[in-house]
Amino acid sequence: MTISKLQVGQTRVVKGLRLPPGEAAWLRAVGLYEGVSVTPLRFGPFRGPVHLRTSTGAELAIDFDLAQAVDLGDLP
Amino acid sequence: MTAAVALGAKPTATTIALVGRPNAGKSSLYNALTGGTARVGNFPGITVDVLEAQVTFGTGDAVTVVDLPGVYSVEAIADPESDEGHARRYLDRLSSAGTPHLVAQVLDATHLPMGLRLTLELKRRGAPMVLLATQHDELMRRGSMLDAKALSAALGLPVLAVSARSPNVKQQLEAFLADAVRVRAVEPTLVTDVDALAAQVLKPLGDSKAQAAAVRRRTERMDALLLHPVFAPFLFVGLMTALFAAVFLVSDPVTGLIDLVNRALGARLESALGPGWVSSLLVDGVLGGAGTVLGFLPQIVILTMAMEVIEASGYLARGTFLVDRILKLAGLGGRSFVPLLTAHACAVPAITSTRIIRDPGQRLRTMLVLPLMTCSARIPTYGLLIGTFFATRGPVFKGAMFVGLYAAGALAGFVASLVLGKTVKRAGRSLPLVLEMPAYRRPQAKVVLLAGWRAATRFVRDVGSVILVATVVLWALLTVPGPGSAEASLRAPPDSSPRVVAMHGSIAAFVGRALEPVTQPAGFDWRINVGLIGSVGARELMVGTMGVIFGIEGDGDEVSPLSQKLRDAKSRTGARAYGVPTGLALMAFFVIACQCMSTLAAVRRETRSWRWPAFVFGYTYSVAWVLAVVVFQVTRALGW
Ligand SMILES: Nc1nc2c(ncn2[C@@H]2O[C@H](COP(=O)(O)OP(=O)(O)OP(=O)(O)O)[C@@H](O)[C@H]2O)c(=O)[nH]1
Ligand SMILES: [Mg+2]
Repeated sequence: MTISKLQVGQTRVVKGLRLPPGEAAWLRAVGLYEGVSVTPLRFGPFRGPVHLRTSTGAELAIDFDLAQAVDLGDLP
Repeated sequence: MTAAVALGAKPTATTIALVGRPNAGKSSLYNALTGGTARVGNFPGITVDVLEAQVTFGTGDAVTVVDLPGVYSVEAIADPESDEGHARRYLDRLSSAGTPHLVAQVLDATHLPMGLRLTLELKRRGAPMVLLATQHDELMRRGSMLDAKALSAALGLPVLAVSARSPNVKQQLEAFLADAVRVRAVEPTLVTDVDALAAQVLKPLGDSKAQAAAVRRRTERMDALLLHPVFAPFLFVGLMTALFAAVFLVSDPVTGLIDLVNRALGARLESALGPGWVSSLLVDGVLGGAGTVLGFLPQIVILTMAMEVIEASGYLARGTFLVDRILKLAGLGGRSFVPLLTAHACAVPAITSTRIIRDPGQRLRTMLVLPLMTCSARIPTYGLLIGTFFATRGPVFKGAMFVGLYAAGALAGFVASLVLGKTVKRAGRSLPLVLEMPAYRRPQAKVVLLAGWRAATRFVRDVGSVILVATVVLWALLTVPGPGSAEASLRAPPDSSPRVVAMHGSIAAFVGRALEPVTQPAGFDWRINVGLIGSVGARELMVGTMGVIFGIEGDGDEVSPLSQKLRDAKSRTGARAYGVPTGLALMAFFVIACQCMSTLAAVRRETRSWRWPAFVFGYTYSVAWVLAVVVFQVTRALGW
């Protein structure tokens, strides 16, 4: 499961980032780290960016490609 | 002076570095502390450069306060060319140079957990440190408050809960920081779970859950509209159109009024001083040149205030979301949006703001196409040309024409990025689009008015200095005879006054005429050429130069506005010199050409090479010329 496959309003927990280590570290610092849960609020048309909310209360817009690289698991 | 100063116990000129995540509120605190004018906006990545100010606190402590671009992490690798890279480099230098310094981490109290992650990283660096938990008013609006004592005890750091908008923020910060600069040691902390810590130090004030949900719902409702998959793009285009139309329609009458005053003043001066070079210098040079440019003050002010509202509201991040796909098509990305939009005010800060773009190739290409966006310096020329060649049309037509010129600039940028996307590549790590979407905020009237006031004073200062000097120099060049002046002056239109005949033999006329073979296919004669040469440095000078030239030509006629004089201008044969095709060709030229030395200097500074500014200059001028020729030839063939 990845963010790109979620429905709007569905919540899952980030389990891993399939990215080069440097990029992954930066993304964790921004707010997408293992253990945070994410809920998509909307998907931009034509594989546009994904607008999501994390359990820390932050809202992020991320590339669709990136959304495909964030692995999710069920809520604990 | 305090006893501590007398005893020398206090460290002198400690540097206080405001460090924190983007959009935390660093610049707001910096401004409060220093009385500075750092740009503030509701978007992560407004500050892209390091700002410093020396201040002496009420306590007598002299410190250097530094505002930095936002950082998400001081441990993860960062692109050195990005805004984050600049901040990181500054911090590294601060520690390696051994400058006495204090890291004042600015945390957004409404997003505590993410801020605290950065706190742990900063603590590991070992520099003396304090926390400024800002936006506390916003936290309270969400029904919570921060227990600063508990947070301080858990982290072993001094903590101040503060709001940049509270009236006594300066005193609070000074008192807190004056104590803090005396602290030298950092106590270790055992905290690892920042989420738990955040939950523990945030105390509810009443029904915090419901209040926080209410704030969130408001943003959700706004987003439902402003990010709507169907309506939002229309709203976006509508908003931009309304903005630029308003710039024209609202301010055009005021510009006319300023122009009227200007001309009345000129007529007075001329009759008081009588004919002669002194009166020509004052009336044609100073009033005709710099005075005409000054008339465009209202446009600049309205545009600045509108941009300020957009920046403060939180719409920038939504715009980024909306245009990401389109910009990707052009080989750019969502993060190019803010630099491209700010370039509609001025390209110079916009070029620096490309640092927020995480992809080196996109950053370079954005910088290369930015000068095509319609900056405010083009407004005077567009206003003059529309007023000259479409004088009889109604305000709606003129407004549409004005908006069309903005659209033409954006379209040119789109095409240029498409072409450059295929040719200009740059190696480097590319980070995907990740953008924090801030909550909406109501812009503060005081801040918006202040921005308008600053734009006005800056514009008046520029007109009163650089533009004034340049138009006076141009007046001189239009007065001093050039090579072959006797013969050249015979080319003046029939029945010209001696002053006009002399101008036709001037140095400027000589140079302008030398360029005629190149510019004639675009419908430009020597007078327009002089304007184009004058505006190589700054495009506002086009209108200034035209004002000077036609001020001299209309010798004794201080009654007609410049647009009238341009319409009545005679060519060598005595026929009308300029028609609609020339006007349109000139507009096309101004849409494309990068007539701005400051922009080129900014490209040079950001790319650290002469190659790219030379490229921008070369490509925009050649395309501008080709386009002007095409527009002139086609519209003339159509009999316009
Ligand atoms: N209500 C409220 N708003 C604040 C406060 N401090 C900052 N803001 C708003 O928060 C937004 C960000 O403020 P800035 O001072 O530009 O933040 P910054 O940390 O310098 O941001 P970057 O330069 O983008 O990293 C702006 O819209 C400010 O008006 C505060 O204490 N209270
Ligand atoms: Mg800032």
